[in-house]
Amino acid sequence: MNDKRYYTPLGNDGMYVLDTAAWRTHRPVMNKEKCINCGICMGYCPVNSVYCEDKVFKISYDFCKGCGLCAAECPKKAIDMVPEGGK
Amino acid sequence: MSYIDVLKETQNVMTPGSSACQGCGGELILRRVMQIAGNNSVFAVPPGCMAGAGVDGWNFSNGCTAPIHITLLDNTASFMSGVSEIYQRKGRTDVNIVAIAGDGATADCGFQSLSGAAERGAKMLYVCYDNEGYMNTGYQRSSTTSMGSNTSTTPAGAAINGKEQQQKYLPLIMAMHNVKYCATASPSNMADLVAKIQKGLAASKEGFAYLHVFSPCPTGWKFASDQTIQVAKLAVKSNMFPIWEMENGKYKLTANNNPISVAEFVKGIGKFAKLTEEEIAAIQSMADARYATLKKLAAE
Repeated sequence: MNDKRYYTPLGNDGMYVLDTAAWRTHRPVMNKEKCINCGICMGYCPVNSVYCEDKVFKISYDFCKGCGLCAAECPKKAIDMVPEGGK
Repeated sequence: MSYIDVLKETQNVMTPGSSACQGCGGELILRRVMQIAGNNSVFAVPPGCMAGAGVDGWNFSNGCTAPIHITLLDNTASFMSGVSEIYQRKGRTDVNIVAIAGDGATADCGFQSLSGAAERGAKMLYVCYDNEGYMNTGYQRSSTTSMGSNTSTTPAGAAINGKEQQQKYLPLIMAMHNVKYCATASPSNMADLVAKIQKGLAASKEGFAYLHVFSPCPTGWKFASDQTIQVAKLAVKSNMFPIWEMENGKYKLTANNNPISVAEFVKGIGKFAKLTEEEIAAIQSMADARYATLKKLAAE
């Protein structure tokens, strides 16, 4: 993600968001067969990377730091932490 | 409406990329407080981890879509008293006045101004994320650091074995100020935390509301980043962090009938690695005494 996303009109050149996705060593992948759409992962995600679209919870990888909290707390163990394969 | 629906319908107020560590409990609490308070709010975040992570916008790469102030470490509550007062005079009672501070800016440096604001009944919500130390500068001890913690100013070694004093229990001190609303919460009980943030925001329109939230720190406490919620759960189960609330002088304790031992709580945490049996027993008796006091307060 090289293009900076404009966020708020503050500062010298406007304010941009930090690319925290570059920190990730493992990415959480949702197994939709086991997932019951309870939304617990959304409640516990410190980065608010889990979002709900049409009553289905999804993970956005734009800013996910790969902490693994969602995978650890999922009651159905439906999230796997998969190692990142490099760019 | 369940808490999941509340979180689904609220928007991110803080920018999505924030330079807080992976699995940060403070960031989790900050985002929940901010998204529930919404954009019609004025925030204050004093120096600490969350300000360091850039929520105040000083690094031009993170920020917040609502008005936010970076106050000094010791004047957050008095600063927000003034902000609250001018909004009252302008008739803008709909605006949420929210301060979010770490335990250093709450229990140590900022305690004088916090105590003053609570006594005056300034109309605001003050949230403390208690990570038990000055994490932003490399984990120096604070007054809420629990006994036996291996910090950079109380290193476990030949002379001492971690912090020698028991922690100061701030939430009860704040409740004794006769504030409108005072509660403790843990991110592991997310439904409870969300409900308490909503209650606190409602109470902040009438008087001072204080929320003390447990915030495990993977970097400082030395545990894996995916264990944050697990550590918070164990702290609640072992009575190291009892969950209660005080509303208009009435105490309500979330009962924990079969508590696990403190030894089970400290097991996986790196900062407690060198605890001796005597120290664990001392922490256990402190936790038991504190729970008994709270039980008595909530009994009527």
